[in-house]
Amino acid sequence: MIIGVSFDTPADNKKFAEKNSFNFPLICDTDRTIGTVYGANVDPQKGAQRVGVVIDRDGKIKEWHERVDPRAWPAAVVGTL
Amino acid sequence: MLNPGDKAPDFVGRDHTGKTVKLSDFKGKPVVLWFFPKADTAG
Repeated sequence: MIIGVSFDTPADNKKFAEKNSFNFPLICDTDRTIGTVYGANVDPQKGAQRVGVVIDRDGKIKEWHERVDPRAWPAAVVGTL
Repeated sequence: MLNPGDKAPDFVGRDHTGKTVKLSDFKGKPVVLWFFPKADTAG
């Protein structure tokens, strides 16, 4: 399961998902609650930092990366699950 | 910052289609959480 998260509005994320044919949810964390808890709200003036997190079947953090490659990482990590 | 082995904080959010997404809904499955700065930017 991939879940994308940004601080954008549903309208912006809908366009983004359609343009890229994403088949996973993009959470619109407009109040930055999730981003703050997961360490992605590094600069409140900017969008989310490209944090990547892998959560295992037991609901525990398996990996936490400060910055990941947006194109390669999600697909690469899904292949290892 | 979160460390491997920590319990992943539960969250509830709304996705781009208006659907509610909850981490606890995916219990028993691995989840990849991918943050991105701005819809439709490559940088």
